[in-house]
Amino acid sequence: MYTRSTLLPVICALLMLTACAKPPTEQIAAAEKAVAEAQQSGAATYVADEYAKIEGTLAALKKEMSDQDGKLALFRDYGKVEQLAATAKGEAERVKAEATKKKEEMKAAALQAQQVAQEAVTATLALVAKAPTGKDRAAVESIKADAEALKASLNQVQEAIDAADYSAAQTKAKAIHEKSQAVSGEIEAALSKIGKGKPSAAKKK
Amino acid sequence: MPGHGSRITSVFLWWGALVLTGSLIGCVEAVPQDVIEAVENIDRDLMELRAAEFSPNDYAQFAHQWMALKSRVQADEDLIRWPWESNDLEVALRRLQEEGSRTVARLTKERESLRRSAESKIAHVEDRFRMMTAQVSAIDSRLVLGQKPVEADLLIKQAHAFYEQGEYDRSLDASERAAQNLAMQAALLSNELGRYGNRDRISRWQQMAKDTITWSRMHRTSAIVVSKADRMLTLYRNGQKVLSYPVRLGFNGIREKRHQGDGATPEGRYRISGKRGEGQTRFYRALVLDYPNEEDRRRYRIDQRTGQIPASQAIGGQIEIHGVENELMAQTLGCVMLDNPQMALLFDRVDKGTPVTIVGALHEQNSVALTLAMLGIQREET
Repeated sequence: MYTRSTLLPVICALLMLTACAKPPTEQIAAAEKAVAEAQQSGAATYVADEYAKIEGTLAALKKEMSDQDGKLALFRDYGKVEQLAATAKGEAERVKAEATKKKEEMKAAALQAQQVAQEAVTATLALVAKAPTGKDRAAVESIKADAEALKASLNQVQEAIDAADYSAAQTKAKAIHEKSQAVSGEIEAALSKIGKGKPSAAKKK
Repeated sequence: MPGHGSRITSVFLWWGALVLTGSLIGCVEAVPQDVIEAVENIDRDLMELRAAEFSPNDYAQFAHQWMALKSRVQADEDLIRWPWESNDLEVALRRLQEEGSRTVARLTKERESLRRSAESKIAHVEDRFRMMTAQVSAIDSRLVLGQKPVEADLLIKQAHAFYEQGEYDRSLDASERAAQNLAMQAALLSNELGRYGNRDRISRWQQMAKDTITWSRMHRTSAIVVSKADRMLTLYRNGQKVLSYPVRLGFNGIREKRHQGDGATPEGRYRISGKRGEGQTRFYRALVLDYPNEEDRRRYRIDQRTGQIPASQAIGGQIEIHGVENELMAQTLGCVMLDNPQMALLFDRVDKGTPVTIVGALHEQNSVALTLAMLGIQREET
Protein backbone atom coordinates (compact mmCIF):
# COMPACT_ATOMS: atom_id res chain seq x y z
CA MET A 1 0.00 0.00 0.00
CA TYR A 2 1.19 3.44 -0.83
CA THR A 3 1.30 5.85 2.00
CA ARG A 4 0.15 9.42 1.77
CA SER A 5 3.78 10.56 2.02
CA THR A 6 4.81 8.51 -1.03
CA LEU A 7 1.89 9.68 -3.23
CA LEU A 8 2.25 13.35 -2.42
CA PRO A 9 5.44 14.03 -4.48
CA VAL A 10 3.95 12.20 -7.48
CA ILE A 11 0.74 14.27 -7.34
CA CYS A 12 2.76 17.46 -6.94
CA ALA A 13 4.92 16.57 -9.94
CA LEU A 14 1.81 15.87 -12.04
CA LEU A 15 0.22 19.13 -11.00
CA MET A 16 3.40 21.02 -11.87
CA LEU A 17 3.55 19.39 -15.26
CA THR A 18 -0.12 20.21 -15.91
CA ALA A 19 0.37 23.75 -14.75
CA CYS A 20 3.32 24.23 -17.10
CA ALA A 21 1.42 23.11 -20.25
CA LYS A 22 -0.74 26.19 -20.62
CA PRO A 23 -1.51 27.50 -24.12
CA PRO A 24 0.55 30.59 -25.05
CA THR A 25 -2.54 32.77 -25.46
CA GLU A 26 -0.67 36.04 -25.26
CA GLN A 27 1.80 35.06 -27.98
CA ILE A 28 -1.07 33.82 -30.15
CA ALA A 29 -3.02 37.05 -29.63
CA ALA A 30 0.09 39.06 -30.47
CA ALA A 31 0.63 37.02 -33.64
CA GLU A 32 -3.01 37.42 -34.70
CA LYS A 33 -2.85 41.17 -34.05
CA ALA A 34 0.32 41.45 -36.13
CA VAL A 35 -1.28 39.50 -38.99
CA ALA A 36 -4.42 41.68 -38.84
CA GLU A 37 -2.25 44.80 -38.96
CA ALA A 38 -0.33 43.41 -41.94
CA GLN A 39 -3.62 42.79 -43.71
CA GLN A 40 -4.81 46.34 -42.94
CA SER A 41 -1.58 47.71 -44.37
CA GLY A 42 -2.51 46.17 -47.72
CA ALA A 43 -0.19 43.15 -47.50
CA ALA A 44 -2.75 40.95 -49.28
CA THR A 45 -2.49 43.32 -52.26
CA TYR A 46 1.10 44.47 -52.28
CA VAL A 47 2.93 41.33 -51.03
CA ALA A 48 0.21 38.78 -51.69
CA ASP A 49 2.38 35.65 -51.69
CA GLU A 50 4.15 36.48 -48.44
CA TYR A 51 0.88 37.35 -46.78
CA ALA A 52 -0.65 34.05 -47.91
CA LYS A 53 2.25 32.22 -46.28
CA ILE A 54 1.70 34.06 -43.02
CA GLU A 55 -1.93 33.04 -43.11
CA GLY A 56 -0.68 29.48 -43.72
CA THR A 57 1.55 29.72 -40.67
CA LEU A 58 -1.38 31.02 -38.63
CA ALA A 59 -3.52 28.12 -39.82
CA ALA A 60 -0.75 25.65 -38.89
CA LEU A 61 -0.56 27.30 -35.47
CA LYS A 62 -4.28 26.88 -34.92
CA LYS A 63 -4.18 23.26 -35.95
CA GLU A 64 -1.27 22.54 -33.63
CA MET A 65 -3.11 24.33 -30.85
CA SER A 66 -6.20 22.25 -31.49
CA ASP A 67 -4.11 19.04 -31.59
CA GLN A 68 -2.52 19.87 -28.27
CA ASP A 69 -5.85 20.85 -26.71
CA GLY A 70 -7.18 17.45 -27.73
CA LYS A 71 -4.50 15.65 -25.73
CA LEU A 72 -4.57 14.78 -22.05
CA ALA A 73 -3.32 17.70 -20.03
CA LEU A 74 -0.35 15.66 -18.95
CA PHE A 75 0.87 15.17 -22.49
CA ARG A 76 0.25 18.66 -23.86
CA ASP A 77 3.21 20.52 -25.29
CA TYR A 78 2.69 24.02 -26.66
CA GLY A 79 6.29 24.55 -27.64
CA LYS A 80 5.56 24.28 -31.35
CA VAL A 81 2.60 26.64 -30.98
CA GLU A 82 4.87 29.20 -29.36
CA GLN A 83 7.39 28.80 -32.13
CA LEU A 84 4.75 29.23 -34.83
CA ALA A 85 3.28 32.26 -33.05
CA ALA A 86 6.71 33.86 -32.91
CA THR A 87 7.31 33.10 -36.61
CA ALA A 88 3.89 34.45 -37.62
CA LYS A 89 4.35 37.62 -35.59
CA GLY A 90 7.86 38.29 -36.87
CA GLU A 91 6.89 37.63 -40.48
CA ALA A 92 3.70 39.71 -40.20
CA GLU A 93 5.67 42.67 -38.90
CA ARG A 94 8.21 42.35 -41.71
CA VAL A 95 5.49 41.96 -44.36
CA LYS A 96 3.54 44.91 -42.95
CA ALA A 97 6.62 47.11 -43.31
CA GLU A 98 7.21 45.83 -46.82
CA ALA A 99 3.57 46.35 -47.86
CA THR A 100 3.54 49.85 -46.40
CA LYS A 101 6.72 50.67 -48.32
CA LYS A 102 5.39 49.26 -51.59
CA LYS A 103 2.06 51.02 -51.15
CA GLU A 104 3.79 54.34 -50.52
CA GLU A 105 6.01 53.83 -53.55
CA MET A 106 3.00 53.07 -55.76
CA LYS A 107 1.08 56.01 -54.32
CA ALA A 108 4.02 58.32 -54.97
CA ALA A 109 4.33 57.01 -58.53
CA ALA A 110 0.58 57.50 -59.10
CA LEU A 111 0.67 61.04 -57.70
CA GLN A 112 3.64 61.90 -59.86
CA ALA A 113 1.93 60.50 -62.95
CA GLN A 114 -1.20 62.47 -62.01
CA GLN A 115 0.80 65.68 -61.76
CA VAL A 116 2.49 65.07 -65.10
CA ALA A 117 -0.90 64.39 -66.69
CA GLN A 118 -2.41 67.52 -65.10
CA GLU A 119 0.43 69.66 -66.43
CA ALA A 120 0.06 68.17 -69.89
CA VAL A 121 -3.70 68.79 -69.91
CA THR A 122 -3.20 72.35 -68.64
CA ALA A 123 -0.71 72.96 -71.46
CA THR A 124 -3.16 71.51 -73.99
CA LEU A 125 -6.01 73.67 -72.71
CA ALA A 126 -3.74 76.72 -72.88
CA LEU A 127 -3.00 75.91 -76.51
CA VAL A 128 -6.73 75.56 -77.20
CA ALA A 129 -7.33 78.96 -75.58
CA LYS A 130 -4.70 80.47 -77.88
CA ALA A 131 -6.60 79.29 -80.94
CA PRO A 132 -8.21 82.16 -82.89
CA THR A 133 -11.90 82.89 -82.54
CA GLY A 134 -14.36 83.27 -85.36
CA LYS A 135 -13.97 81.47 -88.68
CA ASP A 136 -10.48 80.19 -87.98
CA ARG A 137 -11.64 78.46 -84.83
CA ALA A 138 -13.46 75.82 -86.85
CA ALA A 139 -10.32 73.81 -87.49
CA VAL A 140 -9.67 73.28 -83.79
CA GLU A 141 -13.25 72.64 -82.68
CA SER A 142 -12.94 68.86 -82.58
CA ILE A 143 -9.54 69.10 -80.93
CA LYS A 144 -11.09 71.33 -78.31
CA ALA A 145 -13.63 68.60 -77.58
CA ASP A 146 -10.73 66.19 -77.10
CA ALA A 147 -9.00 68.56 -74.69
CA GLU A 148 -12.18 68.95 -72.66
CA ALA A 149 -12.50 65.15 -72.53
CA LEU A 150 -8.95 64.88 -71.22
CA LYS A 151 -9.69 67.44 -68.53
CA ALA A 152 -12.74 65.43 -67.45
CA SER A 153 -10.70 62.21 -67.40
CA LEU A 154 -8.37 63.65 -64.76
CA ASN A 155 -11.19 63.16 -62.26
CA GLN A 156 -10.99 59.41 -62.83
CA VAL A 157 -7.31 59.47 -61.84
CA GLN A 158 -8.22 61.17 -58.57
CA GLU A 159 -11.03 58.67 -58.00
CA ALA A 160 -8.60 55.77 -58.45
CA ILE A 161 -6.14 57.40 -56.03
CA ASP A 162 -8.92 57.92 -53.50
CA ALA A 163 -9.82 54.23 -53.83
CA ALA A 164 -6.10 53.36 -53.32
CA ASP A 165 -6.06 51.70 -56.74
CA TYR A 166 -2.68 53.19 -57.59
CA SER A 167 -2.04 50.86 -60.50
CA ALA A 168 -5.21 52.02 -62.28
CA ALA A 169 -4.47 55.66 -61.36
CA GLN A 170 -0.99 55.43 -62.83
CA THR A 171 -2.03 53.75 -66.09
CA LYS A 172 -4.89 56.23 -66.53
CA ALA A 173 -2.66 59.22 -65.83
CA LYS A 174 -0.03 57.97 -68.26
CA ALA A 175 -2.69 57.43 -70.92
CA ILE A 176 -3.98 60.99 -70.38
CA HIS A 177 -0.46 62.38 -70.59
CA GLU A 178 0.23 60.51 -73.82
CA LYS A 179 -3.08 61.54 -75.39
CA SER A 180 -2.69 65.11 -74.19
CA GLN A 181 0.66 65.40 -75.92
CA ALA A 182 -0.85 64.02 -79.11
CA VAL A 183 -3.72 66.54 -78.91
CA SER A 184 -1.26 69.38 -78.29
CA GLY A 185 0.61 68.28 -81.40
CA GLU A 186 -2.62 68.35 -83.40
CA ILE A 187 -3.46 71.83 -82.12
CA GLU A 188 -0.03 73.14 -83.03
CA ALA A 189 -0.35 71.62 -86.48
CA ALA A 190 -3.83 73.12 -86.90
CA LEU A 191 -2.65 76.53 -85.70
CA SER A 192 0.29 76.47 -88.06
CA LYS A 193 -2.10 75.59 -90.91
CA ILE A 194 -4.37 78.47 -90.06
CA GLY A 195 -1.40 80.78 -90.03
CA LYS A 196 -0.68 83.83 -87.97
CA GLY A 197 -3.33 86.02 -89.51
CA LYS A 198 -5.26 88.26 -87.20
CA PRO A 199 -8.21 86.59 -85.47
CA SER A 200 -11.50 87.07 -87.21
CA ALA A 201 -14.33 88.83 -85.46
CA ALA A 202 -17.01 86.47 -84.16
CA LYS A 203 -19.96 86.28 -86.48
CA LYS A 204 -23.42 84.84 -86.30
CA LYS A 205 -23.66 81.35 -87.82
CA MET B 1 35.55 -25.09 -27.06
CA PRO B 2 35.50 -21.95 -24.89
CA GLY B 3 37.71 -20.31 -27.55
CA HIS B 4 35.20 -21.16 -30.31
CA GLY B 5 32.29 -19.74 -28.24
CA SER B 6 34.04 -16.46 -27.62
CA ARG B 7 34.77 -16.12 -31.37
CA ILE B 8 31.08 -16.60 -32.19
CA THR B 9 30.16 -14.01 -29.57
CA SER B 10 32.72 -11.66 -31.00
CA VAL B 11 31.34 -12.08 -34.56
CA PHE B 12 27.78 -11.44 -33.31
CA LEU B 13 28.94 -8.33 -31.49
CA TRP B 14 30.67 -7.04 -34.62
CA TRP B 15 27.62 -7.68 -36.77
CA GLY B 16 25.37 -6.03 -34.17
CA ALA B 17 27.59 -2.96 -34.05
CA LEU B 18 27.65 -2.77 -37.85
CA VAL B 19 23.85 -3.03 -38.12
CA LEU B 20 23.35 -0.45 -35.38
CA THR B 21 25.78 1.99 -37.03
CA GLY B 22 24.10 1.50 -40.40
CA SER B 23 20.67 2.05 -38.89
CA LEU B 24 21.77 5.20 -37.11
CA ILE B 25 23.26 6.61 -40.32
CA GLY B 26 19.97 5.82 -42.12
CA CYS B 27 17.99 7.58 -39.41
CA VAL B 28 19.77 10.97 -39.59
CA GLU B 29 17.74 12.47 -42.45
CA ALA B 30 14.10 12.62 -41.36
CA VAL B 31 12.96 14.13 -44.72
CA PRO B 32 15.10 13.99 -47.87
CA GLN B 33 16.42 17.44 -48.72
CA ASP B 34 15.53 17.05 -52.40
CA VAL B 35 11.80 16.90 -51.58
CA ILE B 36 11.99 20.13 -49.61
CA GLU B 37 13.92 21.81 -52.40
CA ALA B 38 11.38 20.58 -54.96
CA VAL B 39 8.51 22.13 -52.97
CA GLU B 40 10.49 25.35 -52.54
CA ASN B 41 10.99 25.46 -56.31
CA ILE B 42 7.25 25.04 -56.85
CA ASP B 43 6.65 27.92 -54.46
CA ARG B 44 9.08 30.03 -56.50
CA ASP B 45 7.30 29.05 -59.72
CA LEU B 46 3.95 30.03 -58.23
CA MET B 47 5.35 33.37 -57.09
CA GLU B 48 6.75 34.02 -60.56
CA LEU B 49 3.30 33.26 -61.94
CA ARG B 50 1.94 35.80 -59.41
CA ALA B 51 -0.46 33.08 -58.33
CA ALA B 52 -1.25 34.88 -55.06
CA GLU B 53 -2.62 37.83 -57.08
CA PHE B 54 -4.27 36.06 -59.97
CA SER B 55 -5.42 32.84 -58.37
CA PRO B 56 -5.45 33.59 -54.63
CA ASN B 57 -7.39 30.47 -53.65
CA ASP B 58 -4.94 28.14 -55.37
CA TYR B 59 -1.96 29.86 -53.82
CA ALA B 60 -3.58 30.05 -50.37
CA GLN B 61 -4.25 26.31 -50.51
CA PHE B 62 -0.63 25.60 -51.43
CA ALA B 63 0.80 28.07 -48.91
CA HIS B 64 -1.33 26.70 -46.07
CA GLN B 65 -0.16 23.15 -46.71
CA TRP B 66 3.43 24.21 -47.27
CA MET B 67 3.60 26.25 -44.07
CA ALA B 68 2.05 23.42 -42.06
CA LEU B 69 4.54 20.91 -43.45
CA LYS B 70 7.44 23.33 -43.11
CA SER B 71 6.72 23.73 -39.43
CA ARG B 72 6.71 19.94 -39.11
CA VAL B 73 10.00 19.70 -41.04
CA GLN B 74 11.57 22.18 -38.64
CA ALA B 75 10.17 20.29 -35.62
CA ASP B 76 11.29 16.91 -37.02
CA GLU B 77 14.84 18.00 -37.80
CA ASP B 78 16.24 16.47 -34.61
CA LEU B 79 14.15 13.32 -34.66
CA ILE B 80 15.73 9.94 -35.27
CA ARG B 81 13.69 7.67 -37.43
CA TRP B 82 14.31 4.02 -38.13
CA PRO B 83 14.56 3.07 -41.78
CA TRP B 84 11.59 0.71 -41.52
CA GLU B 85 9.48 3.36 -39.85
CA SER B 86 6.91 5.01 -42.23
CA ASN B 87 7.60 8.72 -42.88
CA ASP B 88 4.25 10.54 -43.08
CA LEU B 89 5.91 13.91 -43.46
CA GLU B 90 7.87 12.84 -46.52
CA VAL B 91 4.71 11.32 -48.01
CA ALA B 92 2.81 14.56 -47.38
CA LEU B 93 5.62 16.66 -48.90
CA ARG B 94 5.77 14.46 -51.98
CA ARG B 95 1.99 14.77 -52.33
CA LEU B 96 2.25 18.57 -52.03
CA GLN B 97 5.03 18.51 -54.64
CA GLU B 98 2.77 16.62 -57.03
CA GLU B 99 -0.26 18.83 -56.36
CA GLY B 100 1.92 21.96 -56.62
CA SER B 101 3.38 20.81 -59.94
CA ARG B 102 -0.12 20.28 -61.28
CA THR B 103 -1.17 23.73 -60.02
CA VAL B 104 1.86 25.35 -61.67
CA ALA B 105 1.08 23.59 -64.95
CA ARG B 106 -2.60 24.54 -64.80
CA LEU B 107 -1.97 28.18 -63.85
CA THR B 108 0.71 28.51 -66.54
CA LYS B 109 -1.81 27.29 -69.09
CA GLU B 110 -4.60 29.52 -67.74
CA ARG B 111 -2.32 32.54 -67.66
CA GLU B 112 -1.15 31.98 -71.20
CA SER B 113 -4.74 31.63 -72.30
CA LEU B 114 -5.65 34.86 -70.49
CA ARG B 115 -2.66 36.62 -72.05
CA ARG B 116 -3.77 35.54 -75.51
CA SER B 117 -7.34 36.68 -74.84
CA ALA B 118 -6.11 40.07 -73.64
CA GLU B 119 -3.82 40.43 -76.65
CA SER B 120 -6.57 39.47 -79.07
CA LYS B 121 -9.16 41.74 -77.40
CA ILE B 122 -6.82 44.73 -77.54
CA ALA B 123 -6.07 44.10 -81.21
CA HIS B 124 -9.78 43.71 -81.99
CA VAL B 125 -10.93 46.82 -80.15
CA GLU B 126 -8.02 48.84 -81.51
CA ASP B 127 -8.91 47.85 -85.06
CA ARG B 128 -12.51 48.86 -84.50
CA PHE B 129 -11.43 52.14 -82.93
CA ARG B 130 -9.19 52.97 -85.89
CA MET B 131 -11.90 52.01 -88.37
CA MET B 132 -14.53 54.02 -86.53
CA THR B 133 -12.27 57.07 -86.28
CA ALA B 134 -11.66 56.92 -90.02
CA GLN B 135 -15.34 56.46 -90.83
CA VAL B 136 -16.46 59.20 -88.46
CA SER B 137 -13.84 61.52 -89.89
CA ALA B 138 -14.95 60.70 -93.44
CA ILE B 139 -18.47 61.88 -92.69
CA ASP B 140 -17.28 64.81 -90.50
CA SER B 141 -19.26 63.61 -87.51
CA ARG B 142 -16.51 63.70 -84.86
CA LEU B 143 -18.29 66.36 -82.82
CA VAL B 144 -21.48 64.32 -82.60
CA LEU B 145 -19.57 61.93 -80.34
CA GLY B 146 -18.48 64.50 -77.74
CA GLN B 147 -15.92 63.09 -75.29
CA LYS B 148 -16.47 59.45 -76.19
CA PRO B 149 -13.61 59.03 -78.71
CA VAL B 150 -11.05 60.30 -76.19
CA GLU B 151 -12.49 58.06 -73.48
CA ALA B 152 -12.17 55.05 -75.79
CA ASP B 153 -8.62 56.00 -76.70
CA LEU B 154 -7.66 56.29 -73.03
CA LEU B 155 -9.20 52.90 -72.24
CA ILE B 156 -7.24 51.27 -75.06
CA LYS B 157 -4.04 52.87 -73.82
CA GLN B 158 -4.84 51.58 -70.32
CA ALA B 159 -5.48 48.11 -71.70
CA HIS B 160 -2.02 48.19 -73.29
CA ALA B 161 -0.40 49.37 -70.05
CA PHE B 162 -2.09 46.65 -67.98
CA TYR B 163 -1.08 44.07 -70.58
CA GLU B 164 2.56 45.18 -70.38
CA GLN B 165 2.41 44.85 -66.60
CA GLY B 166 1.09 41.29 -66.91
CA GLU B 167 -2.29 42.30 -65.47
CA TYR B 168 -4.20 40.51 -68.20
CA ASP B 169 -7.56 40.46 -66.43
CA ARG B 170 -7.47 44.24 -65.98
CA SER B 171 -6.31 44.62 -69.56
CA LEU B 172 -9.31 42.59 -70.69
CA ASP B 173 -11.61 44.70 -68.52
CA ALA B 174 -10.27 47.96 -70.00
CA SER B 175 -10.61 46.56 -73.54
CA GLU B 176 -14.15 45.46 -72.79
CA ARG B 177 -15.06 48.93 -71.56
CA ALA B 178 -13.47 50.42 -74.68
CA ALA B 179 -15.60 48.06 -76.81
CA GLN B 180 -18.72 49.16 -74.92
CA ASN B 181 -17.74 52.78 -75.48
CA LEU B 182 -17.41 52.13 -79.24
CA ALA B 183 -20.83 50.47 -79.26
CA MET B 184 -22.24 53.57 -77.52
CA GLN B 185 -20.58 55.79 -80.14
CA ALA B 186 -22.21 53.76 -82.90
CA ALA B 187 -25.57 54.07 -81.15
CA LEU B 188 -25.09 57.81 -80.69
CA LEU B 189 -24.25 58.28 -84.36
CA SER B 190 -27.23 56.20 -85.34
CA ASN B 191 -29.47 58.29 -83.10
CA GLU B 192 -28.09 61.65 -84.30
CA LEU B 193 -27.67 60.83 -87.98
CA GLY B 194 -30.24 58.11 -88.47
CA ARG B 195 -32.25 60.40 -90.73
CA TYR B 196 -29.60 59.87 -93.44
CA GLY B 197 -30.76 56.27 -93.60
CA ASN B 198 -34.45 57.03 -93.25
CA ARG B 199 -36.34 56.38 -96.52
CA ASP B 200 -39.15 58.86 -95.79
CA ARG B 201 -36.68 61.59 -94.98
CA ILE B 202 -34.62 60.87 -98.08
CA SER B 203 -37.82 60.93 -100.17
CA ARG B 204 -38.64 64.35 -98.74
CA TRP B 205 -35.13 65.58 -99.53
CA GLN B 206 -35.39 64.15 -103.05
CA GLN B 207 -38.72 65.94 -103.47
CA MET B 208 -37.22 69.23 -102.27
CA ALA B 209 -34.39 68.91 -104.82
CA LYS B 210 -36.87 67.93 -107.54
CA ASP B 211 -39.06 70.96 -106.75
CA THR B 212 -36.02 73.24 -106.96
CA ILE B 213 -34.97 71.80 -110.33
CA THR B 214 -38.57 72.08 -111.61
CA TRP B 215 -38.68 75.70 -110.46
CA SER B 216 -35.44 76.35 -112.37
CA ARG B 217 -36.94 74.82 -115.50
CA MET B 218 -40.26 76.62 -115.18
CA HIS B 219 -38.68 80.01 -114.52
CA ARG B 220 -35.86 79.40 -117.02
CA THR B 221 -33.31 80.47 -114.44
CA SER B 222 -30.65 79.18 -112.05
CA ALA B 223 -31.08 77.11 -108.89
CA ILE B 224 -28.63 75.47 -106.52
CA VAL B 225 -28.92 72.11 -104.72
CA VAL B 226 -26.43 71.16 -102.01
CA SER B 227 -26.20 67.59 -100.76
CA LYS B 228 -24.53 67.45 -97.34
CA ALA B 229 -23.84 63.68 -97.41
CA ASP B 230 -22.18 63.95 -100.83
CA ARG B 231 -20.60 67.31 -99.98
CA MET B 232 -21.58 68.44 -103.43
CA LEU B 233 -23.08 71.65 -104.81
CA THR B 234 -24.91 71.44 -108.13
CA LEU B 235 -25.98 74.40 -110.20
CA TYR B 236 -29.00 73.98 -112.46
CA ARG B 237 -29.97 76.23 -115.33
CA ASN B 238 -33.38 75.82 -116.96
CA GLY B 239 -33.74 72.56 -115.04
CA GLN B 240 -30.46 71.20 -116.45
CA LYS B 241 -27.36 70.41 -114.45
CA VAL B 242 -24.71 72.99 -115.36
CA LEU B 243 -21.93 72.22 -112.95
CA SER B 244 -21.15 70.29 -109.77
CA TYR B 245 -18.49 71.28 -107.26
CA PRO B 246 -17.27 69.63 -104.06
CA VAL B 247 -17.91 71.71 -100.95
CA ARG B 248 -16.82 71.90 -97.34
CA LEU B 249 -19.43 72.31 -94.61
CA GLY B 250 -19.53 73.55 -91.01
CA PHE B 251 -17.29 71.84 -88.45
CA ASN B 252 -20.44 70.08 -87.28
CA GLY B 253 -22.03 70.36 -90.70
CA ILE B 254 -23.49 66.90 -90.97
CA ARG B 255 -25.96 67.75 -88.20
CA GLU B 256 -29.16 69.69 -88.53
CA LYS B 257 -28.65 73.34 -87.59
CA ARG B 258 -30.49 74.23 -84.40
CA HIS B 259 -28.89 77.34 -82.99
CA GLN B 260 -26.06 79.81 -83.25
CA GLY B 261 -22.56 78.41 -82.79
CA ASP B 262 -23.45 74.75 -83.24
CA GLY B 263 -21.25 74.52 -86.34
CA ALA B 264 -24.06 72.78 -88.24
CA THR B 265 -25.05 73.58 -91.81
CA PRO B 266 -28.81 74.20 -92.15
CA GLU B 267 -31.12 72.06 -94.30
CA GLY B 268 -34.06 73.65 -96.08
CA ARG B 269 -35.23 75.87 -98.93
CA TYR B 270 -33.40 79.19 -99.05
CA ARG B 271 -32.74 81.99 -101.47
CA ILE B 272 -29.70 84.13 -102.13
CA SER B 273 -30.45 87.33 -100.25
CA GLY B 274 -27.26 89.14 -101.16
CA LYS B 275 -24.07 88.91 -103.19
CA ARG B 276 -20.74 90.08 -101.78
CA GLY B 277 -18.10 90.64 -104.36
CA GLU B 278 -14.42 91.45 -104.13
CA GLY B 279 -13.65 93.66 -101.12
CA GLN B 280 -17.05 93.03 -99.54
CA THR B 281 -16.16 89.73 -97.86
CA ARG B 282 -13.14 88.06 -96.27
CA PHE B 283 -14.02 84.86 -98.10
CA TYR B 284 -13.16 85.85 -101.67
CA ARG B 285 -16.82 85.96 -102.83
CA ALA B 286 -19.95 85.23 -100.86
CA LEU B 287 -23.60 84.44 -101.54
CA VAL B 288 -25.63 85.28 -98.46
CA LEU B 289 -28.58 82.96 -97.76
CA ASP B 290 -31.84 83.97 -96.10
CA TYR B 291 -31.26 81.65 -93.13
CA PRO B 292 -33.19 81.44 -90.83
CA ASN B 293 -36.35 80.95 -92.86
CA GLU B 294 -39.83 80.54 -91.39
CA GLU B 295 -39.41 76.77 -91.01
CA ASP B 296 -36.10 77.27 -89.17
CA ARG B 297 -37.72 79.76 -86.79
CA ARG B 298 -40.65 77.44 -86.11
CA ARG B 299 -38.33 74.53 -85.25
CA TYR B 300 -36.11 76.82 -83.15
CA ARG B 301 -39.15 77.97 -81.10
CA ILE B 302 -40.22 74.34 -80.53
CA ASP B 303 -36.70 73.37 -79.44
CA GLN B 304 -36.62 76.28 -77.00
CA ARG B 305 -40.07 75.44 -75.62
CA THR B 306 -39.13 71.78 -75.14
CA GLY B 307 -35.84 72.74 -73.51
CA GLN B 308 -33.69 71.15 -76.20
CA ILE B 309 -31.80 74.42 -76.50
CA PRO B 310 -31.38 77.07 -73.77
CA ALA B 311 -33.69 80.09 -73.87
CA SER B 312 -30.69 82.41 -74.08
CA GLN B 313 -29.35 80.66 -77.18
CA ALA B 314 -29.82 82.66 -80.41
CA ILE B 315 -30.88 81.07 -83.68
CA GLY B 316 -27.84 82.31 -85.61
CA GLY B 317 -27.52 83.69 -89.11
CA GLN B 318 -25.06 84.89 -91.78
CA ILE B 319 -25.07 81.53 -93.52
CA GLU B 320 -23.32 81.90 -96.85
CA ILE B 321 -21.93 80.04 -99.81
CA HIS B 322 -18.45 81.45 -99.94
CA GLY B 323 -14.87 81.01 -101.04
CA VAL B 324 -11.80 80.35 -98.94
CA GLU B 325 -10.07 82.89 -96.75
CA ASN B 326 -7.24 80.54 -95.84
CA GLU B 327 -6.51 77.73 -98.29
CA LEU B 328 -5.79 75.34 -95.43
CA MET B 329 -9.11 75.85 -93.68
CA ALA B 330 -10.88 72.50 -93.61
CA GLN B 331 -14.26 73.50 -92.30
CA THR B 332 -16.56 76.46 -91.74
CA LEU B 333 -18.79 77.53 -88.86
CA GLY B 334 -21.89 76.37 -90.73
CA CYS B 335 -21.51 77.83 -94.23
CA VAL B 336 -20.95 76.07 -97.53
CA MET B 337 -17.42 76.68 -98.78
CA LEU B 338 -16.00 76.23 -102.28
CA ASP B 339 -12.51 76.62 -103.65
CA ASN B 340 -12.03 80.14 -105.00
CA PRO B 341 -11.85 79.40 -108.76
CA GLN B 342 -15.12 77.46 -108.52
CA MET B 343 -16.65 80.14 -106.34
CA ALA B 344 -15.80 82.72 -108.98
CA LEU B 345 -17.63 80.70 -111.65
CA LEU B 346 -20.66 80.13 -109.45
CA PHE B 347 -20.78 83.75 -108.32
CA ASP B 348 -21.11 84.96 -111.86
CA ARG B 349 -23.92 82.53 -112.73
CA VAL B 350 -26.41 83.28 -109.95
CA ASP B 351 -28.41 86.30 -108.87
CA LYS B 352 -30.07 87.64 -105.79
CA GLY B 353 -33.22 85.52 -105.31
CA THR B 354 -31.73 82.31 -106.77
CA PRO B 355 -33.14 79.39 -104.81
CA VAL B 356 -30.67 77.31 -102.80
CA THR B 357 -31.93 74.00 -101.47
CA ILE B 358 -29.73 72.26 -98.91
CA VAL B 359 -30.59 68.63 -98.18
CA GLY B 360 -29.04 65.88 -96.09
CA ALA B 361 -28.81 63.33 -98.88
CA LEU B 362 -30.24 62.54 -102.28
CA HIS B 363 -29.75 58.76 -102.30
CA GLU B 364 -30.46 55.95 -99.89
CA GLN B 365 -26.93 54.65 -100.39
CA ASN B 366 -25.36 57.91 -99.20
CA SER B 367 -22.02 58.03 -97.37
CA VAL B 368 -23.56 58.65 -93.95
CA ALA B 369 -26.12 55.85 -94.28
CA LEU B 370 -23.42 53.44 -95.46
CA THR B 371 -21.17 54.37 -92.56
CA LEU B 372 -24.01 53.92 -90.08
CA ALA B 373 -24.84 50.53 -91.57
CA MET B 374 -21.20 49.47 -91.29
CA LEU B 375 -20.98 50.66 -87.69
CA GLY B 376 -24.19 48.80 -86.90
CA ILE B 377 -22.69 45.57 -88.19
CA GLN B 378 -19.56 46.14 -86.13
CA ARG B 379 -21.67 46.82 -83.06
CA GLU B 380 -23.39 43.47 -83.51
CA GLU B 381 -19.99 41.78 -83.79
CA THR B 382 -18.98 43.25 -80.44
